[in-house]
Amino acid sequence: MLAGEDGPGGLDFDNFQIAYTLGAIALAVVLFDGGLRTHRSTLALASWPALLLATVGVVLTAALTGAMAALLFSLSWLEGMLVGSIVASTDAAAVFFLLGAGGTNLVKRVRATLETESGVNDPMAVFLTVTCVALIEAGPPNFSTNALPGLVGAFLMQIAGGAVFGVVGGLALVRLINALNLATGLYPILALSGALVVFGVAQSVGASGFLAVYLAGVVLGNRRHRATLVIDRFQDGLAWLSQIGMFLMLGLLVTPTNLIPTVLPSLALAAFLILVARPVAVLLCTAPFGFNWREKTFLGWVGLRGAVPIFLGTVPVLAGLPNADAYFEIAFVVVLTSLVVQGWTVNLAARQLNLALPPAPRPAQRFDVDLPAEAERDLSAFVVQETSAAVGWLPGDMRLEDDVEIVAVIRDGVMRLPSDAPRLAAGDYVVVVAPAERMGALDRLFGSAPRKDPSGRDEAVFGEFTFGGETLTGDLARMYDLPIPPPEQALTLSDFLRRHLRGRIDAGDRLKLGDVELIVRALDGETILQVGIELEPRRFPLLQADVARIWAHHWWRVLRNRLWRRRE
Amino acid sequence: MEIASLLPPDGVIASLRATSKKQALQELAHRAEAITGVPERKIFDVLLERERLGSTGIGLGIAIPHGKMPELDQLYGIFARVEHPIDFDSVDDQPVDLIFLLLAPEGAGADHLKALARVSRLLRDKSMCAKLRGTNNPDALYALLTEPLASHNAA
Repeated sequence: MLAGEDGPGGLDFDNFQIAYTLGAIALAVVLFDGGLRTHRSTLALASWPALLLATVGVVLTAALTGAMAALLFSLSWLEGMLVGSIVASTDAAAVFFLLGAGGTNLVKRVRATLETESGVNDPMAVFLTVTCVALIEAGPPNFSTNALPGLVGAFLMQIAGGAVFGVVGGLALVRLINALNLATGLYPILALSGALVVFGVAQSVGASGFLAVYLAGVVLGNRRHRATLVIDRFQDGLAWLSQIGMFLMLGLLVTPTNLIPTVLPSLALAAFLILVARPVAVLLCTAPFGFNWREKTFLGWVGLRGAVPIFLGTVPVLAGLPNADAYFEIAFVVVLTSLVVQGWTVNLAARQLNLALPPAPRPAQRFDVDLPAEAERDLSAFVVQETSAAVGWLPGDMRLEDDVEIVAVIRDGVMRLPSDAPRLAAGDYVVVVAPAERMGALDRLFGSAPRKDPSGRDEAVFGEFTFGGETLTGDLARMYDLPIPPPEQALTLSDFLRRHLRGRIDAGDRLKLGDVELIVRALDGETILQVGIELEPRRFPLLQADVARIWAHHWWRVLRNRLWRRRE
Repeated sequence: MEIASLLPPDGVIASLRATSKKQALQELAHRAEAITGVPERKIFDVLLERERLGSTGIGLGIAIPHGKMPELDQLYGIFARVEHPIDFDSVDDQPVDLIFLLLAPEGAGADHLKALARVSRLLRDKSMCAKLRGTNNPDALYALLTEPLASHNAA
């Protein structure tokens, strides 16, 4: 922005056409990268709530925000809707970044929902925006029910076409990568150009290229293919570059002096979007899925906007609508507000709502040898980090999965077999042969210890001690003097927690019992397999009522049973 | 709660010889009898009963076995460095080489929980564990364990 026409840079860049084209390509790259990182298990966990949020949720947000915009800026309803649509989608890149590199390890289901939602909702917002622009262009007289079938058809074409192009394109890309024998450095370029071809072809036939390129990424990311690591790293860097480029360019497009008259109502609109429209949409869309209130609050709060709305803001400008510059400027202010307010508070909100999982250790430095995919094993050398859990262990004493084999330990240029290797120390190279899916666990084993959160806690987020779900609640109550009503003590921990935790239960859910908290660590469907006990939990006033509630439930049950008996 | 108030100077075993979890608990109970006067068999049974609910191996080579004994009048701690790491059914499946035993009187309630939390916080400190693993001198170990809180952990 500083470099732009009003700033010291004085660059006069206002070619919206170029901005649109480059923005679309950059967005495609970011979405492709997001897709590559979306693991199949994430989709399985969150596809339905995310899908609902990405469709109905986007429409709701757009409609509410649109109504507000119409009031604030005295626009027509349709123009209001256009503003609403422009800012309706959450930003994949911002969400992926803040949740990934930002350091907070979120409860799985919430994370998966946010990530999937942000990947899938851009096409919806694009579609709404384009539709609004078309309707405004056509003018009020032509806006009749006759246009509806055409609109629905176009919408289906966008979504279905995007899905088909994405999956087919992704599969073709996997085959292509595995079939061609190229220099390693060329694979990422092949993947990228493949993705852009999928994007371009889908766009040109009226399907959603954004959806297509995201899905192509998902397909590629979840299939075994050559050069996985090189492609991932290249894409990661490129996604960053695209992000930076996109923001730089959009900053150039804004003329700050033009922002001044609209800035106050725009801020009001941003506040409305953050505090009303998004929470309402989230509450309605998540109602069928049994999220608990802490998860809903978090999902409602974290509706980060990013470059997409600004990019969409260029659409009405290109279409030559009246007041088009205003749309773009409103979008700019809304996005900036959202990024600052929500972006800064994501990690805080996650911790305050007790949705943060133990922080993951920072990965070890790793050097990979790319074996052919048919070998089904990767060969990697890990550098043992100073605070790694592996320091001080003999390689033979470490408990590793059966298919993980330590081949050698190299220290000071001398290679030793694991059988006569010394106790591991920081800086040792450990050469390991293992399937690709074990590398994450090994990264954690040899990597640095996790950072502590501000209160100095680390792994203890999941509790100090662990019990099986079949343990009797009474045994725990006696051991730690917990205030649990005697009849409840006959329940297993699994049944006890299921009775008192509201909503669908997920790993990380907590129940406060006096001074300690019980935490669900692992589940199998409905059954809770592992329960942690945290001895010094964080004080969170809203949770203090749990013991009182358990007793209230207890007396209610007693009372009910008495009344029932009397009636008989 | 300070570690020094739980851990008597003779409650440090600098290199415990044991090949199994059970044997380690027996050795600890044996030392606990010498300190508390409670028969080692009783202590061992209480510890074993607690392990049946879930292992007290909390990961990263650390275990904090604990239990309540009606015979006691105060909290007692015993620390042991295990010579060769032993299998302890820990959460992370890694063998254990640092053990802190904590025995509480019946009805110690909040003090019991605070002491457990204090011990677990102490042993989750990686630099502390590295120092404990680095020496087998009982006096040095005792000094490390009872260092006032502020000097190694600001929390």
